[in-house]
Amino acid sequence: MARPSGPARAPSALTRSLADPALSASVLLLWGALALFVVYPMLMLLARIFWVDGALSFAGLRAVLTDANQLRSLWNSLLLATLVGTAGTALGLGFALAAERCGLPPWMRTVVDAAVLLPLISPPFTTAIAMIFSFGPRGLITYDLLGIKGFSVYGLGSTLFSETLTYFPIAYLTLRPVLAAIDANVEAMALSLGASRWRVFRTVTLPLAVPGLANAFLLLFAASLADFATPLILAGNGFPVLPTQVYLQITGLFDLRGGAALSFVLLGPALAVFLLQRYWVSRAYYVTVTGKAGAQTRLSTVAVWVRGALFALCAFTTLLIVYLYALLLFASLVKAFGANHAWTLDHYRHIFTDGWNAIRDTLIIAAFAMPLGGLFGILVGYLVARREFPGRRSMELISMLNYALPGTIVGIAYLIAFNDPPIMLTGTALIIVACYVFRYGATGIRATMALLAQIDRSLEEASQSLGASTATTFRRITLPLILPAFFAGLGVVFIRSMTAISATIFLVSLSWTLITVKILNDMTELLLGPAAAYSVFVIAVVFVVIALTSWMLRRLRAGGAPAASLLGG
Amino acid sequence: MKNLVQVAFVALAALGIAPAAAQKTVNAYSIWPENWARPMFDEFEKATGIKVNFVRFSSGEALSRVIAEKNNPRIDVLFGGPVETHAAGIKDGVFESYRPPAFARLPARFKHADGQWVAIADDPLVFMSNNKFLKEHGLKPPASWADLLHPAYKNTLQMADARTSGTAVTRIFSILEVNGRDEAKAFAYMRKLRPNVQLYTKSGGGGTLPVGLGQAGAGIFFIVDALDTKAKGYDVSISFPQEGIGTAAEAIALIKGAKNPEAGKKLIDWATSPAMQAHFARYKINFVPAHPDVAVEASLAEVLKGAKIFPIDADYAGANRKRIIDRWIADVLNLGS
Amino acid sequence: MSTAAAGITAEGVAKRFRHRVKGEIYAVRDVTLDVRPGEFLTLLGPSGCGKTTMLRIIGGFERPDAGRVLIGGQDVTWQPANRRNLGFVFQNYALFPHLSVFENVAYGLRVRRQSEEAVARAVGDVLALVGLSAYERQFPNQLSGGEQQRVALARAIVIQPRVLLFDEPLSNLDARLRVQMRVEIRALQRRLSITAVYVTHDQEEAMAVSDRIAVMEAGRVVQQGSAEDLYYRPQSEFLANFIGRANLVRGRVVAADAAGAEIEALGLRMRTPTPGLAPGAAVKPVLRPEALALADAPGPAIIVSRMFLGDSVEYVVRLAGETLYISASSASASPALSEGRSVALRMAAREVAILPERSP
Repeated sequence: MARPSGPARAPSALTRSLADPALSASVLLLWGALALFVVYPMLMLLARIFWVDGALSFAGLRAVLTDANQLRSLWNSLLLATLVGTAGTALGLGFALAAERCGLPPWMRTVVDAAVLLPLISPPFTTAIAMIFSFGPRGLITYDLLGIKGFSVYGLGSTLFSETLTYFPIAYLTLRPVLAAIDANVEAMALSLGASRWRVFRTVTLPLAVPGLANAFLLLFAASLADFATPLILAGNGFPVLPTQVYLQITGLFDLRGGAALSFVLLGPALAVFLLQRYWVSRAYYVTVTGKAGAQTRLSTVAVWVRGALFALCAFTTLLIVYLYALLLFASLVKAFGANHAWTLDHYRHIFTDGWNAIRDTLIIAAFAMPLGGLFGILVGYLVARREFPGRRSMELISMLNYALPGTIVGIAYLIAFNDPPIMLTGTALIIVACYVFRYGATGIRATMALLAQIDRSLEEASQSLGASTATTFRRITLPLILPAFFAGLGVVFIRSMTAISATIFLVSLSWTLITVKILNDMTELLLGPAAAYSVFVIAVVFVVIALTSWMLRRLRAGGAPAASLLGG
Repeated sequence: MKNLVQVAFVALAALGIAPAAAQKTVNAYSIWPENWARPMFDEFEKATGIKVNFVRFSSGEALSRVIAEKNNPRIDVLFGGPVETHAAGIKDGVFESYRPPAFARLPARFKHADGQWVAIADDPLVFMSNNKFLKEHGLKPPASWADLLHPAYKNTLQMADARTSGTAVTRIFSILEVNGRDEAKAFAYMRKLRPNVQLYTKSGGGGTLPVGLGQAGAGIFFIVDALDTKAKGYDVSISFPQEGIGTAAEAIALIKGAKNPEAGKKLIDWATSPAMQAHFARYKINFVPAHPDVAVEASLAEVLKGAKIFPIDADYAGANRKRIIDRWIADVLNLGS
Repeated sequence: MSTAAAGITAEGVAKRFRHRVKGEIYAVRDVTLDVRPGEFLTLLGPSGCGKTTMLRIIGGFERPDAGRVLIGGQDVTWQPANRRNLGFVFQNYALFPHLSVFENVAYGLRVRRQSEEAVARAVGDVLALVGLSAYERQFPNQLSGGEQQRVALARAIVIQPRVLLFDEPLSNLDARLRVQMRVEIRALQRRLSITAVYVTHDQEEAMAVSDRIAVMEAGRVVQQGSAEDLYYRPQSEFLANFIGRANLVRGRVVAADAAGAEIEALGLRMRTPTPGLAPGAAVKPVLRPEALALADAPGPAIIVSRMFLGDSVEYVVRLAGETLYISASSASASPALSEGRSVALRMAAREVAILPERSP
């Protein structure tokens, strides 16, 4: 037995990857796509801001940062986001506690789940408009019901209220599995040691839920920070926020550079939130979520009076949501909301004839974006989680970039990047599809990685030991097991394709227009009937697709595929 | 399967990039709301067989797009919108001079000297107020600019935001005009008015429904929007200030570098002539026709009787637009509420 | 089912890992092994000794930083795992949860594109071999631990591998099942004459099933040999204690001859077959618990405790400052030997081993 001299000569990483063609092909393809649709637009955006007449310039940025009004917008945005994050998380926690600790009967849970789903899948503006008519100076509730005169519906209060109602479901969907995963035995033990229910909650349940709470807060913070639609209607002129300012700067004052500089300011907090989530919360988070199921019955850790209070909270909120959407449905079925309440189907007729283009375009784009987005999600998720190749970590970060940033920024970047040579895509469907795929497909990445974390590596090794190549292993073993994440990705991309506006408002054109933009136009023209009809249509379609996707998920015996990944973010 | 999708995808995208088919189509941005533009374009198609492909944008958005697309115009015609929008675009050289047949018959204020834009309608501003609101506060419909400063109107007025809407620009220049173009006086007035303003709306007509519903007490709008609200059945009153109020011509312009210039010209010909403007009355669109041969519809004429209306000087407005708007943003808008 | 069993040779294999706290550590350090075709070799050692890493290197799931691995004489060091034609049985079974038992077992055959009839036949045969014919349609989550283990085994065997690799396959089973399964595994391996490399930390299991055992500690192979070799001739204190139990006492060579030497320890005389010892030299004899016995006569040793274990009785005895563990079969143990009694010791074994001078 001769000993070899020196270390064995290993084939280089390049040779090894060439030996695995499926791997190298996918990595190259993905890098190409990411470079074109994520990196290039961002670089062009930065160039537009900082590169003036062939030289580095901070003038644009300085103009924004020294403008008191813009700074006020920044402050307002941060304030609003913090408040929405807090209020939404608290409300979501209340709902999650009601669902997981109060022994709600299953039918009640389904009702709550459905009601809570509505804000998440709605096109923009739906709650905002209903709010104006309910809480305005002559609002249904403020004036007719409560007799308050001259109530100002525009401003921080209403925006906060509307955004909280719109986004708290995200917190609910994030916290519910966290509470469910806390081992019942742990709480039971605390109770058996003589701790009061409140003490158990305070010292056991709450600390274990902290990663989930932090995650929910960050998600809501980011959502509010990026929200363009609600403040456009409800914030009024006294409470300017950044995304709306950016939009007005560009479309109103046709100042692309100024708008870009403004959006750069928005970039800071958005990135901070993204990084916080990634490096701090996510680590702790997955640990609690993948805990195994404990005992069958869960002792109620909530006192009776608290249970009553939670029920009341949930009931009230649910009723409020149902009311707002009933108002929307009503507006779509009457001739002129507030003036002429004669029943009519004219608005629906209108959207299917005059608005048919928008409906057709939106559905076509959604149909293309859906599979591409789903594929993008699982491909990146799989490669990053399971395969070794150079630049793996960077790929993960970059693929999440468009998703982490507010839609306004992405929209502007795409507009700037693809409006002029070398790559001209404005006015096409491709630009919108690309925007959706690389922005919303990214939710599939997290879902895939979470799912993969629960799939032991040894399964893939077993497949390899039996002679299967990387591609075959992926196709026959990994893919079927992460299919729930694929379907979740499909669902999210579809929902977002139907309801997105902040990015795509900049990307619509003569040839391709979207339902959400039509709604915005109708809103600003105060053609409530058609706007409401479009909204109801979108909600109906999305509901059907969600039902379909959930059915598919259940059929795959996925059970427990986190609904948060389907709809969150 | 993915390949097939990509191929179909590219094909579809190519369809998007490819210019509109031959001269049977014309592409336009319409600043007029859809429910007015569409009937007009349908009539145009009936008359000439040319289909109009259009997207609706507010004036600020439309102009910014046209300027952004300067090197590769996507449209042939910019349809409608207050003339000061078009005037502002001349600076950026986005329009092409074209004199339709009706050009000679139009008075000077309804056309650009070189034919860079031509008027298709006239749109006076009006005051519109909610009757219930007036009754509650014992007020008559506002008959003077000063009336709007009344404390009863605190936080009840809605009017357009100058950053996005041409209505606002016309309004601001009206105020300048009644103050003899004295900017100090005009801005002082607007600052005094600010606390009474509940909301500056994104689009010109954005405040009409709130006023109609009583969510807002009154506002300043183009007559088309105001009368439309009244026609829908809302309980509102139209009034004019005795000092006078401005009117802005609605214009049409041919885009430089248009891909379907012939079809575009046909549209301009049609729109500037009685052929289109005779339809205003039929479709209950309350623009005042620009062409002298078209009679003002009876009920509209009735509303306008006795009102002091003056035209906004397009050149003056075009030249000072940016500066005035910037000043409005800084001095008036951001006074906060 | 005939397989062409292959031998495995590892030469100077080393593998480094980066540890978060400890920095760079060697999981496997210069390991050389030779497994004969058809042989059952066990890698035995405490946790962290590198045995699993070594197994995974042979299997192709880790790349060594130094050395070579040859299977059937062919250098496979850089060959990817899926081309080595090995059967790997994982500690957690790694059954594909979304496939039925039949499909799990058929997986490797389908990858090799065998015809439906061939697949059905082979799967049927191998399931019969492990006694799970009735379970074809079940899914892994419907099976017990032992059944899952057998499916994993079937799946690895059906592809007719040259070598079978086992990574602590029985550690998740209860004691009784473990004993039963190890017999089955050994029987199957013998029947199919496949080379097997088996990793475990359980020395009893290792001794029960192996042809040869390689004991690993801290990344190195410290001794290789049959169970008897290791038991009766441990090369170090560690090995003496790791395999079975040992009483390590100090002794002295009294007389030496060509065949060995006579040693005195604990006041007893014993014989060792190790030649070349110098009279008067200090040595460390390895006294297994069954090598000593208690005499039913008074003596200097005191019985500290007595444990009845069913088939044997264990005594803890103190003598001359040493604590000794003595084991006797129940059949011959006298109940009179109770705790607290003073007894004499006598030798029950004919020979004892002594630890080599240099203990690694």
